[in-house]
Amino acid sequence: MEEKLAEVAAVIKFKVMRKTYSLRCSILFILITSLTYAQDSTATYKKRVLESTEVDLLASYYSQEGNNAAVTGGLGTEELTDAAPTIVISIPMNDDDVLTIDGGISAYTSASSSNVNPFDGGDNPADPFVASTGASSNDVWGNLTGTYSHSSDDRNTIWTGKLSFSTEYDYTSFGFGGSFTKLFNEKNTEISLNGNVYLDSWKIIYPFELRPFTEGGQGINDFLFNAYPLLGNANYDPQFTELGEKRRNSYSLGLNLSQIFTQRLQGSLAVDLVLQDGLLSTPFQRVYFGNVEDTFIQNFQLADDVERLPSERLKLAIGGRLNYYLNEIFVLRSYYRFYIDDWGISSHTANIEVPVKISQSFTLYPSYRYYNQSASDYFAGYEQHFSTGDFYTSDFDLSEYNANQFGFGLKYTDIFTRFNIGGFGLKSIDLKYNYYERNTGLSANMIAGGFNFVMQ
Amino acid sequence: MKLKVLLLGIGIIALSSCSAVKEYEKVYINDPDMVLGQKKIDRFETNFQAYREASAGANGGKTGGGCGCN
Repeated sequence: MEEKLAEVAAVIKFKVMRKTYSLRCSILFILITSLTYAQDSTATYKKRVLESTEVDLLASYYSQEGNNAAVTGGLGTEELTDAAPTIVISIPMNDDDVLTIDGGISAYTSASSSNVNPFDGGDNPADPFVASTGASSNDVWGNLTGTYSHSSDDRNTIWTGKLSFSTEYDYTSFGFGGSFTKLFNEKNTEISLNGNVYLDSWKIIYPFELRPFTEGGQGINDFLFNAYPLLGNANYDPQFTELGEKRRNSYSLGLNLSQIFTQRLQGSLAVDLVLQDGLLSTPFQRVYFGNVEDTFIQNFQLADDVERLPSERLKLAIGGRLNYYLNEIFVLRSYYRFYIDDWGISSHTANIEVPVKISQSFTLYPSYRYYNQSASDYFAGYEQHFSTGDFYTSDFDLSEYNANQFGFGLKYTDIFTRFNIGGFGLKSIDLKYNYYERNTGLSANMIAGGFNFVMQ
Repeated sequence: MKLKVLLLGIGIIALSSCSAVKEYEKVYINDPDMVLGQKKIDRFETNFQAYREASAGANGGKTGGGCGCN
C-alpha cells in the first residue's frame, strides 16, 4: 500500500515537474521571442535622415573691375556688380526621405553688357570704357531647384532626383538629374554616380550695330548710320551672318569616391565628364579683326563680327580633396583639380583652407586658392584675329592667365539654438570675404553670408 | 607613370579598407569642418569662378549649363 502511495506521489510529482518545466519552457520561449523581437526592433530602428526642417538664408554681393570686356572685343570696361539672395529649405518627408527646395535670384548690373547698345544718346559719347544706360545694363537671373533624396533603411544606399529651372532675359534653362550613392566598409567608403542634363535656350541678342545686317534689316542704310557720322572706314560692311542655333544642351556624368583613411584623415576623388552642344558662344560678344579697316561711331569701334565657337565641347575635370583633423583647434582642408577640354584649355586649381576653432562657438576660415589655365585654341585679343578664321573669340575668360584668391571667413555656431524666430532656432551664422585677382588685370571682391535655422 | 599613381591610389584605398574606422572612432571625422563636400556658403564663389574661368566641375558645383556661362 505504501509502495503504491509512493508510486502515485512520484507520478504526481513528475506531472507537476513536467508542468513546471513546460511553464518554464513557455516563459523562456516568450522571453526569447520577446528578446528576438526586441533585437529585431533594434535592428530596424533607424535615425531620421533629417530630424526636422532646416532653412538656410544665404546672400552674396560681388563686384569686379577690369579692362578686357568680351562684349567690346577684349578692350573695354568689365565693371560688374551682382547681388544674390538665396533660400534653401530642407524638409524631412519621413524617416528616409528629404525634399530640398533651393530658390534664388542673381541681380546684376554690368557695364560691358550695357555696351551691347552703346548708342544710348546720353551726354557721354559712346565709349567701350564707359557704361551705357540701355536695357542690357542690368538683368535678373532666377533659379528654382527641387531635389528629392531617399535613403535605404541601413543608410548605405541613397537615391536622389533633381529638377531645376532658371531664367533671365536672354537665357532659359531646364535641368534634370539624379545620383546613386552606395556606402560600405562600415561607412568608410562611399561611391557615388551622378548624371545631369540641362536643356537651355538663348534669346539671341546681337550687338546693336550688327542688327541692321540681320534678315530684314536696312544694312548701312539703317537709321543708326545716318544719325551718327562714321569715323575711320566709312564703308562699314561687317562680315556677319546670323547664328543658326539657339539651344545649348549640357550632359554631365560624375563619379565620386570618398574614403576615410584614419580617424583623422579622409579624402575624395571626383571625376566629371561634360558634353555640351548647340550655341556655345555668346551672341553679343564682339570680335575685331586685324585685317579689316576699323569703323567708329564716336569713341566706339563697330563690330566686325560676333564671337564664333564650335558647336560641341567635351570637358573633363578630376578633383581630389584631402581633409586632416590636426587637433581641437586646427583642421586642414585641401583641394586640387585638373581640367582639360577639347577647345585646348587645361587648368590647375589648388585650394587650402585652415579652419581655426577659437572657441566652442566661433571658427575662423582663412583660405587661399591658386588657379591657372592655358588659352583656348580660339582665343586671341583685340584686333588679333583674322577674318579668314572659322572660330574666334576675344573673351579673356578663355585666355591664358593665372589667378590668386584670398579668403577669410567666420562662423558662429549655437548648438543649443537659443535664438528663436517663429519656431525656428538659429543654428549657425557664416560670413565670408574673398578677394580675387588675375594677371590679366581683372580683380573682384565678394562677400557672402548665411543663416542656418532649424525648426524646433 | 600615370598607371603607377593610379595603382598607388587604389592600393592606399584597399589597404585602408582593411582597417575600417568604427563608428565610435569617427569623432574627428564627423567634425563639421571635415566635411568633404562643398559648404553652403561656398556656393557663391564656386558660381563666380564658373563664370570667370574656363574650367568647372569636380568640385560639387556647376559643371555646365543652367546659365549663359561656360
